[in-house]
Amino acid sequence: MKSQQFQIEQKETNDSYILSLGGELDLSVVTQLRAALEPLMERTDRGLVLNLRDLKYIDSTGIGIIVSVLKYRDGINAPFSVKDIPPSIQRLFDLTGISGYLSEGTQG
Amino acid sequence: MIRLQIPSHADYIDIVRVCLYGIASKLNFSYEDIEDMKVAVSEACTNAVLHGGSEKEGGSLIDVTFQPSEAGITITVKNEGPPFEHSETEIGTGTGSPPLQGIEISELPVGGLGIYLMEALMDEVSVQSTDSSTEVILTKYVSE
Repeated sequence: MKSQQFQIEQKETNDSYILSLGGELDLSVVTQLRAALEPLMERTDRGLVLNLRDLKYIDSTGIGIIVSVLKYRDGINAPFSVKDIPPSIQRLFDLTGISGYLSEGTQG
Repeated sequence: MIRLQIPSHADYIDIVRVCLYGIASKLNFSYEDIEDMKVAVSEACTNAVLHGGSEKEGGSLIDVTFQPSEAGITITVKNEGPPFEHSETEIGTGTGSPPLQGIEISELPVGGLGIYLMEALMDEVSVQSTDSSTEVILTKYVSE
């Protein structure tokens, strides 16, 4: 069970803030994820990147957060992208249609 | 029939997924089907946690049952408390086109995807509400 535990790792590169998510993203970790995102949402000096490579699980709660980040970053005209999406998660992104928004404006 | 009762709190939804995984594995569901069911059942539990009644109304527990059959499995998620908002009318059913499509980014809905995903991922979904309880019934058939 330990390996499934939700993890957030933050990194900075010259052009982006990268949050790498691992484990299971459900309702129980929403507060944790929002807290990590909050200070970065407004930063227009660099792009914001969510790396999902180690994410094992997501549902509508997590997709809702990604939608809200997408809308916010679009509203302030700042780059946002989602990278390294595992196949099982990509399938849910396709089902909901959010993938269409993630592939556009991937600069970041 | 296998029954599981969890406190109505987000921290216990993963227990339902672990339990579902064990049961569905024994029933020869494919890895993909089990992943689909994990999401659908979590959506039902998430709704129950978010919209279930207060402790006073008896909404502090969620009852989950797993009923295997020859054709597949039926999972029910039941909580006390008034029914949650049925967003079906807003975003259409699972057989339609994806809800997040052809909309301006600024107009994208942040919520309401739970019911859509349940319907897209399960073979049958029904929601039965009374004034004091809500039950979501999810069925998935084993595909050959």
